[in-house]
Amino acid sequence: MSILIAALLLLLAATGAGVVLTRAPRRQVLALSVNGLVLALLFMALQAPDVAFAEITVGAAALPLLFLVVLASMKMDRSPRPPDEP
Amino acid sequence: MTPKLRLALFLLACIVTLPAILLLALHMPAFGAHPLPYGDAIDAAAPGERHISNMVSAVNFDYRGFDTLGEEFMLLCAVTGTVVLLRGSRGEALEARPGIVKGRRILPRSDAVVLIGRLFAPLIMLFGIYVAVHAMTTPGGGFQGGVIAATSALLVFFGDGYHGWRGVMKSQVLDALEGGGAALYALCGFASMAIGAPFLTNFLPLGTLKDVWSGGLMLVENAGVACAVGGGFAMIFLEFLEETRTKKGGAKE
Amino acid sequence: MNLLPWLVAAWLLGIGLYGIVTSRNYVHLIGCLAVVQSATYVLLLAAGYRWNAIAPIFYNHPPGTPAVDPVLQALVLTDVVIGATVTALLLALALQLHKRRETLDPEDLRPLRP
Repeated sequence: MSILIAALLLLLAATGAGVVLTRAPRRQVLALSVNGLVLALLFMALQAPDVAFAEITVGAAALPLLFLVVLASMKMDRSPRPPDEP
Repeated sequence: MTPKLRLALFLLACIVTLPAILLLALHMPAFGAHPLPYGDAIDAAAPGERHISNMVSAVNFDYRGFDTLGEEFMLLCAVTGTVVLLRGSRGEALEARPGIVKGRRILPRSDAVVLIGRLFAPLIMLFGIYVAVHAMTTPGGGFQGGVIAATSALLVFFGDGYHGWRGVMKSQVLDALEGGGAALYALCGFASMAIGAPFLTNFLPLGTLKDVWSGGLMLVENAGVACAVGGGFAMIFLEFLEETRTKKGGAKE
Repeated sequence: MNLLPWLVAAWLLGIGLYGIVTSRNYVHLIGCLAVVQSATYVLLLAAGYRWNAIAPIFYNHPPGTPAVDPVLQALVLTDVVIGATVTALLLALALQLHKRRETLDPEDLRPLRP
């Protein structure tokens, strides 16, 4: 049991560094998702199932999706379009 | 302040605090061998006093219920801020055209994505409601169940496209759900004051241990939190996804 | 092993702050803020842990079995969900900033420039 917790803590340190050192935002989203998954596994190993529930949903699904939607809407072309286009 | 100066100052701060952090880590209580007495007291007292078996829900909704009230209103403020920022600058009209990105075609949705979206959206919504309802017996609660149910609504977007998504997510309903959930939690507190007890006292019948309908007032508070968190997250998703649509006509942002 | 959780929490805090200090894109900065938040979660949950104890759910075990601290788990639970909402607010701010100024580089967005 202590091996599992120690291994997950070291993996979390590595993925946390991965999130910071990935400078391109689109790639950082995937690193954030992996970080959320490892965090949820650590919470399960520390006997906290309620927190792991919340962290999996939020950290691996909802938050990366918000990042991706913001990045996608920044690449949109928002110049004025002619008013008679259907 | 140039970036190099900022980085140098940061490294200086790290070097100065590093001995303090090491000293602190050496003097922290041993990992796993120093249980805290407040948690032990709640583990010993709560199943008998409150008839529920999920200690985290007992702490969230009963022993520290006032903190959860504050957290809910923080959620309300953050969601309101997001909505005001995004909807205020965009208006409330439905936009039919997907966003245009230079050099990228708009592809039709693939059948596999549509099938998975339509199949799994109701299943995951059901799972979210199950998790929210079983707050008092097994791991779960309003916070987790609300987030799972809100995330399941996104699968409707993948499965049915923009018109299906807007057909399901009515912004007035989500507003009412979110505000109503927070108001329900506050009203629970005022209801206990109305009968003469302190704020948020558990005055409803407590039920039996290991039953889904145990816990008394905690059930109502849990329902309020599930509605507020689910409605809040769904509102956030709605506003962000609306940002990826183009405006009809020629209005500049 | 005794020091590892506290050192990992300090490492995550440090590297998250390093990312915030040297970031060139506001969306990247918000991701680094999420890393800093996760440092607090690790610290709180590790402080409440007990060897050979069960989760604080007494559904399959009788009440009285040694269990992990539930108070800290309740704190971290609400923190995770509300922290995601605040991150969404920050992302909305970044989006509006991009719409007004067409760039997300902190160096190009110094406040006193007209």
